[in-house]
Amino acid sequence: MNELERFLDQVDRDGALAETRARASRRRFLGGALAALGAAAFAARPARAASGLGANDVDILNYALGLEFLQAAFYTEAEQSKALTGTTARAARTVGAVERAHVTAFLKLLGAQAIKRPTFDFQGVTENQQAFLKTAVAFEDLAVAAYKGQAPRLRSDAVLAAAVGIHSVEARHAAWMRQLFGITPAVRAFDRPASRPQINRIVASTHFVSAPAKMSARTDPQFTG
Amino acid sequence: MRAAHAVAAAVLAATVIGTGLVVRGRDAGASATAGAADELQALPAAPAPALAVGTPKPLAGERFRSTWTVVRRRVVAVASPDPDSRAVATLALRTSEGTPNLVSVLGRRSDTAGDVWVHVRLPVLPNGSEGWVRRDALAAYEEVRTRLVVDRARLTATLARNGRVVFRAPVGVGQARWPTPRGHFTVRSRLTRFASPFYGPLAFGTTARSPVLTDWPGGGFVGIHGTDRPQLIPGRISHGCIRLRNTDLLRLARLMPVGTPLEIR
Repeated sequence: MNELERFLDQVDRDGALAETRARASRRRFLGGALAALGAAAFAARPARAASGLGANDVDILNYALGLEFLQAAFYTEAEQSKALTGTTARAARTVGAVERAHVTAFLKLLGAQAIKRPTFDFQGVTENQQAFLKTAVAFEDLAVAAYKGQAPRLRSDAVLAAAVGIHSVEARHAAWMRQLFGITPAVRAFDRPASRPQINRIVASTHFVSAPAKMSARTDPQFTG
Repeated sequence: MRAAHAVAAAVLAATVIGTGLVVRGRDAGASATAGAADELQALPAAPAPALAVGTPKPLAGERFRSTWTVVRRRVVAVASPDPDSRAVATLALRTSEGTPNLVSVLGRRSDTAGDVWVHVRLPVLPNGSEGWVRRDALAAYEEVRTRLVVDRARLTATLARNGRVVFRAPVGVGQARWPTPRGHFTVRSRLTRFASPFYGPLAFGTTARSPVLTDWPGGGFVGIHGTDRPQLIPGRISHGCIRLRNTDLLRLARLMPVGTPLEIR
C-alpha cells in the first residue's frame, strides 16, 4: 500500500472507495512510472518576502500553488482527452476551470516568487472515467486536508481569508467527485488536517510529477543536409 | 494568533446574527434588535482576502493546440487499438541524435478491456504512417500552440502561434532528385554546439524522412538548419533538408518549441 492509498483509507470511512479501488487496476491508478521528481516540486523552498507578504506565507502559498498546478493540470488533461462522458465530463470542465482560476490568482499574488509549473505525467488516469474519478476523489480530499493543515500556520489575516475561501471550494469539489464516484460525499463530523510531509509523500507516491523530457542535444546532425 | 482571533470573531459574529434573528422571530422588541446591531457594528470588519480569484474560464484556443509525447519504452505500434492488431512499426526509445523519440498525438481510445491506446504519427517510411500505442509506453503529454509550414513552391517557412503568423523567411529545399518530402510531420529535437559549419549554428530534427536517401546515416531524416552558403537561399539546393539563413534560423529558434507540427506542402 503506498502513501496515496493509505491516505484514501483514512478519508474513506465507509470503505466504498477502498472496495472499488481493490477491484480496479492498480497499475492504471497509481502504477509504474518513470522516476519522478515527486515531492521536490511541492517541497518548501527558500522564500523571500514578496510585496506585502512574509517569507512564511510566501512559502505556504507556493506549496498551495503546487497542489493547484497539479489539480488544474489533471482536470485540463482529462477534458482535453475527451474520454469522459456525461455528468463526469461536465464536472471535470467546471472544476478544471476553477482550478485554473486558482492557479492564475496564486501566480498573480506571488509574482516573481511563484514556483514554476512542474511537468505532470498522469499515466492514463485522465483517459479512463473510473480511474479519473478515483484520482479526483483522492486529489480533492488531499487538497482539503492540505489547506486545513497550513491555515493555522499563516501569519497574514488576508492570506488566511483567501485560504479559507479556497478551502471550502475544494471541499465542495471533494463532495462532488465522491458523489460522482458513488461514495458518501460527507462522512465525518470533523476532518483532520494533513501535514506537509504527509502530503509530499502522497504526491510523490503517485509519480504524477515527472521530469520534463530533454529534447535538445549537443551532437553533430546526421540529417540529409 | 491573529488567525485564531479571526476565527473567534467569525464565530462571535455568527452567534450575534443568530441571536438577532431569534429575537426578531420571537418579536421580543426593538431594543434587543438594536442592541444586537450595535454589537455587530462594534466587531472588526472581516479582512479582505489577499488574492482575488477571477471568473473561471473554459479552455480556449484548443484548435491551435497540438499534443506530443515521448516513447517511454521500446514498443510496437499497431494498426488499430487492439493488442491483436497488425504491427506497423517499432518505436525506439531514442532518435539517431540521442534525444527522446517524440511522437505527435492524434487521438486516444480505450479498448474493450479498458486499456487506453494513443493514436500517433510515426517517424517511419512511408512518410505519413500512423499507428496505435499503449498509453503506458508513452510519457507525459506536452502541448504546443505553434505550427510551421514550409511551402516548397514559394520557398518559404512560416511559423504561426495561436493561428497568428509570427515568423516568415525564405528557405532552401531539396533538389529535384532529392526532394523534400510533402506531408505532416513534427519538429522532434534541437541540436546545438556542433562543429560542422555546413549546418549553421543550430539544427532542428524532424520526423520527415527522405524517400530517396534511405541509406543515409541516421536513417535519412530531414532537418531544419542553417547554412554556410546563405547566397543560395531561396532555392532548390539541398538533399531534402530545409535550410535557412543563419540569422533567420536563430530567430526561428527563439520562437519554435520542439513538438511543433510541421507541414511541408
